[in-house]
Amino acid sequence: MSSMGKLNKHQARTAYLFITPTMLLFAAFTIIPVIMALYLSFTNYDVVSRMDFVKFDNYKRLLQDDLFWTTFKNVAFYSVIFIPLNILISLLLAMLLNFRRFGVKLFRTMNYLPTLTSAVAAATVWIWLLHPEFGLVNNLLSYVGITGPAWLAQTETAMFSIIMVTLWQSVGSNMVIYIAGLQGVPDYLYESAKLDGATAFDRFRYITWPQLRPTTFLVSTMSIIGALQLFDQAFVLTQGGPGNVTKTPVYLIYQQGFNQLQMGYASAQAFVLALAILIFSLINMRLSKSEEPIV
Amino acid sequence: MKKQITIMALAAILGVTAAGCSNNGNAGTDAGTNSGSNAETNSGSKNGDSGSGKPVELTFWGDWGGEGQKQFETMVDAFNKSQDKIRVKYVLQQDMITKFLTASTSGGAPDVLFWDRWRTSLYAPKNVLHPIDEFLAADGISKEDFYGEALKELTYNEKLYGLPLTVDARALFYNKKILADAGVEPPTTWDELEQAAIKTTKWNGSKLEVAGFSLGDPGLFNMYLQQAGGQMMSEDNTKTNFNTDQGKSVLSFWDRLLNEDKVYKTGFEQGLGEGTDAFVTGKLAMQYTGPWMLSTYKKYGKDLDFGIVPPPVGPNGDKGSVMGGFGLVIPEGGKHQKEAWEFIKWWTANKDNALLWAKTSLNIPGYKPALEDPFFKDDPFWKPFLDTLEFAKIRPAHPGYSVMENDAVIPNLQLFLQKKQSIEDTLEKSQKRGDQLLLDNADVK
Repeated sequence: MSSMGKLNKHQARTAYLFITPTMLLFAAFTIIPVIMALYLSFTNYDVVSRMDFVKFDNYKRLLQDDLFWTTFKNVAFYSVIFIPLNILISLLLAMLLNFRRFGVKLFRTMNYLPTLTSAVAAATVWIWLLHPEFGLVNNLLSYVGITGPAWLAQTETAMFSIIMVTLWQSVGSNMVIYIAGLQGVPDYLYESAKLDGATAFDRFRYITWPQLRPTTFLVSTMSIIGALQLFDQAFVLTQGGPGNVTKTPVYLIYQQGFNQLQMGYASAQAFVLALAILIFSLINMRLSKSEEPIV
Repeated sequence: MKKQITIMALAAILGVTAAGCSNNGNAGTDAGTNSGSNAETNSGSKNGDSGSGKPVELTFWGDWGGEGQKQFETMVDAFNKSQDKIRVKYVLQQDMITKFLTASTSGGAPDVLFWDRWRTSLYAPKNVLHPIDEFLAADGISKEDFYGEALKELTYNEKLYGLPLTVDARALFYNKKILADAGVEPPTTWDELEQAAIKTTKWNGSKLEVAGFSLGDPGLFNMYLQQAGGQMMSEDNTKTNFNTDQGKSVLSFWDRLLNEDKVYKTGFEQGLGEGTDAFVTGKLAMQYTGPWMLSTYKKYGKDLDFGIVPPPVGPNGDKGSVMGGFGLVIPEGGKHQKEAWEFIKWWTANKDNALLWAKTSLNIPGYKPALEDPFFKDDPFWKPFLDTLEFAKIRPAHPGYSVMENDAVIPNLQLFLQKKQSIEDTLEKSQKRGDQLLLDNADVK
């Protein structure tokens, strides 16, 4: 008995030794920076000359910063449209391409391709496609007699353009996740449902959708985080304009920290954003847990 | 035994990581660290001693790549050949300002820095730049030889922090062919500009084929405001000063051009880069831009016959343009400030070298004697810019100015141009938000 304990102890010690490098790196590059940022959010740190403790000054200023709350409204609007569409389109694509037929792999690849392009490069191409006079989108519209808007320059359409471009780029990878999820659904469930006379819609409603719950949870959580951290596309496509309708929190944090050197204030903004992401992820978790998948 | 090896391996990893993190390694004291980090510290801490005959090595940081990098290297090579005491090396830094900040705190600052001048008011108070007044006095260099506005932009609290390398300002570029076809002369006043724009604009149904005049950049508000006789900031440089009759006259001028005369369409030029530039392709008759576009436009030769005139004057005959450009500064953390000054002096305060720089890079140097050269005096493209620079003003030197312009003024102007709010609301909201931003960003010490 005692020798077993000794062996266990030895193994445990070796195990700790093995995970030490990872944990050290994790601490050095994740935990410590987060704690530092939290501390910085209570200072007037400017990278170069000062780091005085200013208590809650940054957070007080935050409450009165209309622009910061405007950016939150912007990403909220973005999320409300982007996240459901993202789930819907990638699920539909996945179900469409979840067959073993000739050529299906080609279509899967093609749907995945936009994900491989760099966000900035793709956004640059989209600026072209969306150009009001010479862009492909408005040219196509003009064939059916519609004068298209200046997509990126008009307050009404700017955010929709960004939603469109980010959807185009993100449905591919979510489709792959959903295909994997679909292939994990056991066939016998469908067979017995068919025997019981369930229609195709019933099978989707009572088998596919509940079975995909963990997958949907993953996709929706990633979408929430991604949506709240929107930056690249908004930066390249519209630079936050016109009239601040596409300015996002991350954009503002970047500007405050690196252009104005107010790292303390930027850290406070970043913490509020992190908190928002945490809250929405938790809500999402609750919603998903309410209906556990049937096995 | 195994455990000991693991621990040693771990220690080695940590050692390397630590050595990689700190820039100012102390050479050779810990014999245990591996040879890689030793080599690094040896080459890093070369102690330039100008008396010993060995040349002092200077690091010169800039964020111009491609053509710009070649132009810098031409100048650096010429300087290195001109004497044997100082060796300069150009290092391209993509994210220069961020790197400069971290380097300033960790001790790896360069000796000479290429500097977008408007940043001075934000960085000089933080003591990361070295004032050059003493060098200037010791060498008897006259401030009169430089553009006063450019020097003003490099000054903070009566101290001068660098010398101007280039100066620029926007002037009116016009397509000669389009204007001739419409039978109009290049405009000299707002009214003439409006008439010329109306006559050169061509619509095909709901499609704009040729825009008479570009209204794509609301960031030029400052320039128009000067032409209307106004100023962006109050006398004491603490508050905005555009919610005035002058500000109103700019906005009603824009409103007329865009919404009544319809000489432009919002978003018309967005995303059109080089090669598809609306001005190059004859889809735009007139626009405000600066000397930095000359080399691009000249490439098109006969296909693009264009001229330049100084910006048209406003209703009361006021002239206005905004001066910008770059300078060279010496970081406070640099180890060879005297040698760095020699390099800056050679480049920016010497007629021949400033001219060589001008011809290499097609920029207007900040050193006025160089502009006496026929290269500038007799050139129809340079002349209007030199005339414009005579009255061009820098952006107000307030650390919060650029944030104020970008976050308070431009978004409201965009809403105004899309008829989302009235002239009064636009100016009112810009002023309120602008004053707040100026206040929030005023304290930089």
